[in-house]
Amino acid sequence: MTAEGALGLEFPQATDGAIALNNHMSARQHAWSRFWQAPERPGLAEYIAEQEGMALEFYSDFQALDRLDALAGQLAASGAAASRVALIRAQAASAAHRFAQARQHLTEARACGAETAPVARLVLGIDQACGAHLDEVLVQRRAIAAATNKVEDQIPLGALLADLGEYDEADAVYRRALSSYQDVSPFALAWVCFQLGVLWGETAPTGQSIRAMRWYERALAYLPCYVKARVHLSELYQACGRPVLARSLLLPALPSGDPEVAWRLGDVLNQLGESSEAEAMLATAQAGFEHLLAAHLLAFADHAAEFYAGSGNDAGKASALARINLANRPTRRARALVESTAHSDSRK
Amino acid sequence: MADHIDGPRSIGDPSIDLTDLFAFTSPENPARTVLAADVFPSAGVSAMFSNVVNHAIVVRRVSVAGLGDGAAFKADDAEIRFSCRFSTLEAAPDGSAPVQRGTLTCPDGQVVRFVVHDEAGAATPDGAVRVYAGLRSDPFNLPWLLGGGEMKPFANLLEHDNVLCIVVDFDTVHVLAPARGSLFGVIAETTPLPRPGSFVGHEPPRYDWIGKPEQTNMRLNTSAFPDAPDLRDLWNQQTPFAVAPDLRPLFHERLVDSLTVWDQRDGKRDWTDAAIKASANVFLDDFLLFDVAKPITDSSHFEIERSTLNGTAYQTGGGRTLDANCIDILLNWTVNRDQGPVLKGGAAGPTQPGMKRFPYLAPPNRQMQVVAETVDLPAPPDQVWALVGPFGGMWHPLIAKVVLTGTGTGQLRSIETVDGKQIIERLEAMDDALRSYRYGGVTGIQASDYTGTLSVSPSGAGCSVQWRVQYLADGQPDIIIKTIVSTLQKVGLGSLKKRFDAAK
Repeated sequence: MTAEGALGLEFPQATDGAIALNNHMSARQHAWSRFWQAPERPGLAEYIAEQEGMALEFYSDFQALDRLDALAGQLAASGAAASRVALIRAQAASAAHRFAQARQHLTEARACGAETAPVARLVLGIDQACGAHLDEVLVQRRAIAAATNKVEDQIPLGALLADLGEYDEADAVYRRALSSYQDVSPFALAWVCFQLGVLWGETAPTGQSIRAMRWYERALAYLPCYVKARVHLSELYQACGRPVLARSLLLPALPSGDPEVAWRLGDVLNQLGESSEAEAMLATAQAGFEHLLAAHLLAFADHAAEFYAGSGNDAGKASALARINLANRPTRRARALVESTAHSDSRK
Repeated sequence: MADHIDGPRSIGDPSIDLTDLFAFTSPENPARTVLAADVFPSAGVSAMFSNVVNHAIVVRRVSVAGLGDGAAFKADDAEIRFSCRFSTLEAAPDGSAPVQRGTLTCPDGQVVRFVVHDEAGAATPDGAVRVYAGLRSDPFNLPWLLGGGEMKPFANLLEHDNVLCIVVDFDTVHVLAPARGSLFGVIAETTPLPRPGSFVGHEPPRYDWIGKPEQTNMRLNTSAFPDAPDLRDLWNQQTPFAVAPDLRPLFHERLVDSLTVWDQRDGKRDWTDAAIKASANVFLDDFLLFDVAKPITDSSHFEIERSTLNGTAYQTGGGRTLDANCIDILLNWTVNRDQGPVLKGGAAGPTQPGMKRFPYLAPPNRQMQVVAETVDLPAPPDQVWALVGPFGGMWHPLIAKVVLTGTGTGQLRSIETVDGKQIIERLEAMDDALRSYRYGGVTGIQASDYTGTLSVSPSGAGCSVQWRVQYLADGQPDIIIKTIVSTLQKVGLGSLKKRFDAAK
C-alpha cells in the first residue's frame, strides 16, 4: 500500500525538496546581503527573521539564533524605529526560549506604538510555549485558524490541541491543513506531516509507531533536508529493530551540527555493535550540547536534559537542566521531564 | 511592487509568485517583440524554478470596444500561448552547482529545450522564437512608501533585488500576424501541472496571474478598508481574459472603492464617479495592452488605456518596457488624472536599467559578502578602545606602517602590510561614545562597496571587539578576498586576545 493509501489522504503536489531548499537558502543569504546594504529597509529585517525561523525549524541550523540576535542588534544600530527593533528583539528572544526577555521586549514594542497584530501573535506563541492561559490561547487559535485557513495558523492550533490531549481533533486539524493546501511550497506540508508524526509517535499516550513512521516518511519525501524528521524517524526505526535504516537516515543529517543527530547515531551504532564509533559519536553529541547550552541555555535545556538522562549518562545534570527548563516554561511536558529525570537521578 | 507577494498564499512559496510582466519591441531588432514575466521576488543567487508549475505567457488580439466613460477593450477567444516547464535539479558532473533544464512550448506546438541561467538562451530551428529563463536583476522600480494612506517618495524598495524571469523574444509578423489587428493583450500565469492518474483534487486552477501592474497590491487590496476581505487570492484564481461573471460585480465594486481612495490621496478629486466606474471597468479586464504597429517606449506604458478613457484614439504602442517607471505613471493617473502636480518617486530607475540585447533584463545583482570576527577580552572596553580606536593606530601585527592624511571624517590611512602590500582606507564615521568607527576601502583590495566597522562593546566583566567587513567581490574570486579579509581579522583580533589575556 502506498503512503497515501496508508494515511488515507491524497497528498498535495509540491516543488521538489532540493529546489525548495536551494531557493530558501539562497533567498535568505541574499536577504542578508540586502540588509547589510540598507538595514533600515521596510520589511526586510522582518523577512529575514521569518527565514531564520525556517532555518531553525527545518535544517536545525542553530546558528540562526545568533544571527537573529545580530539582526536585532544591527537593526537597532541602523536607527530603525524602536517598535520595529523591539519586535525583532522579541522574536529573537522567543526563538531562543528566552520568554521573559521576549515579553519585556513586547512591552517595549507596545510602548513605542508597535502595531497590535504582530505583538498579539508573538504573545500568543509565547503563552502557548509556556503553557500559560491555555484556555484563552485555544479560543484565539481556533478563531485565527478559522478566519485565515492558512496552514501556518492550523499548525499551532493542532499542536495546542495535541498538548491538551485532544488527539483526534488535532489529527483532523492537521489533515484539514493538508487537504486544503493550495500552494507548492513543500515546507509547510513537511511541517504538517512532521507534526502528525509527533502526534501519533510521541504525544498520544498509546504510541502508534507505524502510523507515525508513515508521517515522518512523508515529511521527508517532501523535504529530505528536514533534520528533525530524520531524527524522529530514526528513533522509530531503531526501536523496531532496523538500525541500519536508522543509520542511513542519520548520516546525511550529521553535517547540520545538531547534537541530537550525533546522539541518535551513537545509539544506533551501539545497537549495531560498533561501540568505539558510538562512543566517539556520543562524545560529539555531548560537546555539541555543551556548546549550545553555553550560548543558548534556555533553548536547549530540555533536549540536553533528555540526552544526559539517557546516553549522556549524567543524571544529575539532566535533572538540573530539566528544572531550568521547567522554571522557564512550566508546561505539562516540562513537568514530566523533571519527574523522569529526578527519578533516574534518584536511581543512581 | 508590481505584483510582488500579492496574496497570503503566495508568501508560502515565492517561486509561484508572478511579480511583473513586460511587453516591448526588441531593442536589438525592431521586427521582434519581447514578452517577459518575472517570478520569485527577492530571489537568491542560486534560485531555480518550481518543477511542478506551468508558467505561461498568453496573448490575445484585442479591439477597442468603447471610448470615454464607455471605455472597453474586447479580447478575442483565440490564444497565442507560450508555456514553460522546468525539471528537477540535475547534479553537475564536475560537482559544481546543479543544473535545471526547461522546455518552452510555442504557440505552434514547437518545443524549445534550454538550460536555466544560460544567457544565450535557445531558439526554434527557424529562429522565430527565442527563450531565456533564469536569474536577473529585478527591473521593477518601487520608489514610494504607499502603506497606511501615506504617499511618500522613497529609495527603490527593490534595490539590489533579483528575480527569476522568462523572456520570450519572437518574430512579430510570424507569431502575431498583426495584419489582422495590431492591438494585443497579454497576461502571465502560473498553474499547477496536471498529476498523472490524479482524481479531481483540491488544487487551485491557478496560483497567480498578472496583467497590468499593481492590480492586486494597489487596487484590489487597499489599506483604506482594513476590515474588507482580502480578495487577492480569489482574484489570482480567476481565469485571465474571463473573470467569472458572478464575481465581476464584487471585483468592480472593490476597484471603484479603491480608485476613489487613490483619487483623493492628494486631498482633491480629479475623477468623476462615472470616470472612476469606467476606469474600474478597464482595470477589471486585466491584461497588459500593447500595439505592435505603434512605438512602445519607456513613457508609453498605459497610454492606450489612458487615451481611451479620455475619449481619444491612442497614439503609442503602450506595453511596458523594462525602464518604464510604471508606478509613477500609475500614480499620476489614478491620483490626479495626469493633471499635475507631477508625482515623482524617490528613485529614477531600477537597480540596473534594461539591456539593449537579449535577454534584455540586466544580469543579477551581486551579493554583498560579509566577513565578521569577534573576540571577547578580559579588559574594560575603554582600555581596549584606547588601543584600537585611533584610526591610525599601530596595534595590528600584520601592519608595518600607517600614514594618515587629513583629519576627521574623510581622513585617509595608507597601510603598508608586513609583506609589502599597500591598502588605502577612508574614515567614514567615528563614534568614540559608542566605541565604533566605520571606514571604506579606497585601493588595495579588489572589491567594490568595501566597508569595514570596528567596534568595542561591554560584555560581562570585559568587552567584545567586533570587526566586520562587507564588500562586493570585484575582479577576483570571492574566496581570495574573503581569505585576505578573514586573515587580517583573525590575526588582528587574535593579537588582542594574547595581549589582554596576558595582562589579566
